[in-house]
Amino acid sequence: MSATQRWIILADLDAFFASVEELLNPALRGKPLIVGGDPRSRSVVCSASYAARAYGVRSAMPMSRAVRLCPQAVIVPPRHGVYAEHSRAVMEILRAITPAVEQVSVDEAFLDITGCERLWGTPRQIGELIRRRVREERQLTISLGIAATKLVAKIACDVGKPNGLVLVEPGEEQRFLAPLPIERMWGVGKVTADHLRAYGVATIGDLAAWTEERLTATFGDLGRALYRGARGLDDGAVHAERERRSVSHEITFDVDLDDRAALERALLGMSDQVAAQLRRQNMVGQTVRIKLRYPDLSIATRQATLEQPTDQGQAIYAQARALLRRNWHPGQPLRLLGVGVAGLLEGGGYQLELFDASDQKRIRLNRSLDEIRSRYGSKAIRRASQLPPGEKASGEGDVDQER
Amino acid sequence: MKLSCTQENLAKGLATVGRAVAARSSLPVLSNILLATDNSRLKLSATNLEVGINCWIGANVEQEGSTTVPARLLTDLVNSLETERIDMELITRTQTLHLKSGRAEANIKGIDAQEFPIIMVPEEDSRVKIDADAMRQMINQVAFAASADDSRPVLTGVLVSVADGKITFAAADGYRCSVRSMDLEGAADRQMSVIVPARALQELARIAVEQDQPIEMLVDTNRNQVYFHMQNVDLVSQIVEGVFPDIRQIIPTTYNTRVHVDTTEFLKAVRSALIFARDSANVMRLQVVSHGEGEEGRLMVTASSPEHGDHASELDVTMEGKPIEIAFNGRYLMDVLGVIDTAQVLLEMRDPSSPGVIRPVGGADFVHIIMPMHIAH
Repeated sequence: MSATQRWIILADLDAFFASVEELLNPALRGKPLIVGGDPRSRSVVCSASYAARAYGVRSAMPMSRAVRLCPQAVIVPPRHGVYAEHSRAVMEILRAITPAVEQVSVDEAFLDITGCERLWGTPRQIGELIRRRVREERQLTISLGIAATKLVAKIACDVGKPNGLVLVEPGEEQRFLAPLPIERMWGVGKVTADHLRAYGVATIGDLAAWTEERLTATFGDLGRALYRGARGLDDGAVHAERERRSVSHEITFDVDLDDRAALERALLGMSDQVAAQLRRQNMVGQTVRIKLRYPDLSIATRQATLEQPTDQGQAIYAQARALLRRNWHPGQPLRLLGVGVAGLLEGGGYQLELFDASDQKRIRLNRSLDEIRSRYGSKAIRRASQLPPGEKASGEGDVDQER
Repeated sequence: MKLSCTQENLAKGLATVGRAVAARSSLPVLSNILLATDNSRLKLSATNLEVGINCWIGANVEQEGSTTVPARLLTDLVNSLETERIDMELITRTQTLHLKSGRAEANIKGIDAQEFPIIMVPEEDSRVKIDADAMRQMINQVAFAASADDSRPVLTGVLVSVADGKITFAAADGYRCSVRSMDLEGAADRQMSVIVPARALQELARIAVEQDQPIEMLVDTNRNQVYFHMQNVDLVSQIVEGVFPDIRQIIPTTYNTRVHVDTTEFLKAVRSALIFARDSANVMRLQVVSHGEGEEGRLMVTASSPEHGDHASELDVTMEGKPIEIAFNGRYLMDVLGVIDTAQVLLEMRDPSSPGVIRPVGGADFVHIIMPMHIAH
C-alpha cells in the first residue's frame, strides 16, 4: 500500500531585494534597478529587477560588468536589515500554512504540504492562497513550484519565474523535465553542462536516455545523482528548522588582503557586530567559526568551542583570532573573511568571574554602546581601530588592547 | 625478599595506595607499586610525583627485600584470590615476584626497587593534630570548589592555614569559593599556611574513613611538601607554589535579600531543575518574592531547555529585605547544598551581578560564595 501522496512547494520571491526597493520607492518601479555596491569596487550584483535582467544583468555578476551591460540602471546599495524584515514577514505567511518550512535563503523556502488538503484545499489552491497572501499582505510577487519532490518543485519554480505557479502532477515528472536544457538540472553548473554537451546531452530528456551504468561510469557519483534527477527522483525531506542555528558576518575585501593586522581588525569589527546581534536577540553562543576564502575562491572554515557561551565581542574575537592565527599563513592573501557564532541558546547565560570584575565592566560598556548605536546609528560610536583611515584622531590610544 | 600476609590485608593496602599510582606516565616504574619489608611489616608505596602514599600491613617476614610490580596487575590478582594466606618470594636475578595462595600460583615481572622514587617522611618540622572525622568533613565541604583547570595552578589547591588557634580550609575556582574553619586544640601559638592540591586532600578524605586516631599534618618548607601521618598510612603531597587570592576580600559583608530555606527541599528543587538546565549551560533562575504577612516569602527555582521544556519549583521561605531575581549555575548550587548537613540554609544576595552567599543556619564556621550568571535579556 503506497503512502499518502507527497507534495512539496518551493516558494521563491521574485527579484527580492530589487522588489523591496521598488516597493519603498515607487518612482523606481519598472526601471532597470540594480542592488549592489559601488561599481568601481569589486562588489557583485545582489539583486536586479526584471527590467535590468532584460539587459543581461544577473545576480552575483561583478557590478562593473553589470553597469557596462545596462548603463542607465539605477544603483541602490543593499539594505539587508530592511530585506530581512520583509523576509521574516513572508516566512511567517508560509509557516501559517504549515510548520514544515525549510528556509533555504532570505527569499526562498521549501514547504511540505503533504496532508494539508483538508485544511487548505488542493495543492494548486494552496499555491494560489500563498501567492494571494504575499501579494496582499506584503505587496510582493512570489513564484511557486509544486511537485512530489524538492528537486522537481525547484525546477518547476525556476521555469515559471517571474510571478508564476507551475504544478507538476505526480507521474508527469519525466515528461515535464525532458525538454528542459541541461543547466536547469540541480547540481549542474556551467562546467558540467559543457561536459555533458560534449557527449551530445543538451536536455534533461537526453540525459534520461542514458543508462545508470553509463552515467556512473562517465561521471562517478554525480552520474548517479544525474540518473535519478533526470527521472525527477529525489527523496530529500523538508527540514523545518525551529531556531536559527548561527549568527555570522563576512566581508569580501575590495582587494585581496594579506596583512595580519588588517585581517585582525576586520575580525574584531565583525566579532563586535556578531555579538551585538546576539545581544539584540537575547542569545548567547558557544561555538566560534571563521570562514576564509582564497583568491582561487576555495573556502576553508574552522571552528572552536568556548569554555562557556558568550554574547561579548571580545570573547568571540579572542577565539576567532586564535583560529585565524592557527589556520592562516602570514602573507597568504584572502578574498573574504567571516566570523560566526553557533551553538546558540536563547535567554541563555554565562558565568561571571569571582575575582575579576572586568567581565562585568565589559557587559555594562557594551550595553551602553548598544543603546547609543540604537539611538544614533551603528557608526555613532566605534573602536578607534574601526575608523576609516584618515578619520583616526592622532594620539588616540588603541582601545582594542583592552582584555 | 620472602614473606607471607593475609589476602585481606594486602587487598586493603593495595586499595589505599592504588589511587596514587600514576595513570599515564612516561616513567614505567610509576605505574608500579613498591613492596618493601620494613621490620616485621610490609610497606606498600605508590606515587605520581605529586602525591605519594605509604601503607604498612602486617606480615610474616622471612627474608628482607624489596621490588616493584605493576599496580593494576597485582591489585586485580589479589582481589581475585580467596581470603587465604599469600606467600611471596622475589626471584632477585629476574626481578620476578612469585605469589602462592592455596593451590594458585603466579609470577609477576617487576622493576628493581632502586628505580622507584623515594617517598621521604620528614624528621620534624611544624606539625598539628586534627581529628580524622573533622578533617574528612572539612575536605568534603571545601575541596570540590577548587579548580580542575591546570592553567591557574594556585586555584587547583586548597589553602590550609593555621592561625589564632583555628585551622581554615579555603578553595576557589574563579566562580565560587568555599571556606570552612575549625578550632584547633593546642595550636594557639601555631602559624602555617600552605596550598595543598585538592586531589591530594580528596585522597586523604578517602583514607581518613578508616582512621580513628587524629591525623598529624606536617609541613616541610625546605622540600616543599606536606605530610599527613596516620595509623599505618602516610600521605605526602607537593605544595602548590604561588599566592592564593585574598578570600576575605570577596566575602560580601552586606546583603539586600536574605532567605532562610529548608536544605533538603532546596536541594530537591535544584536537582529537578538541573535536569532541564543541563542543556542551557546549567542556568538556574532563583526568584524570591514576599508572600503574605511579615517575613513570609516564596523562592521559585526554574530552569528551561530550549529543546525539551522547562521546570519550576516553589518553596516557602522566610525572607528579609527586597525581592530579587538572580541566576546561578545549578551545578554549583547542588554541589554546596550536598555538603551542608544542617536542616536550614541561609542564602544572602545583594543584586543579580554580585556574589551570593550560602551558609548553614547554626554553623558559623562554613561559608560558600557563588558568583551569579549573566543572563541574556
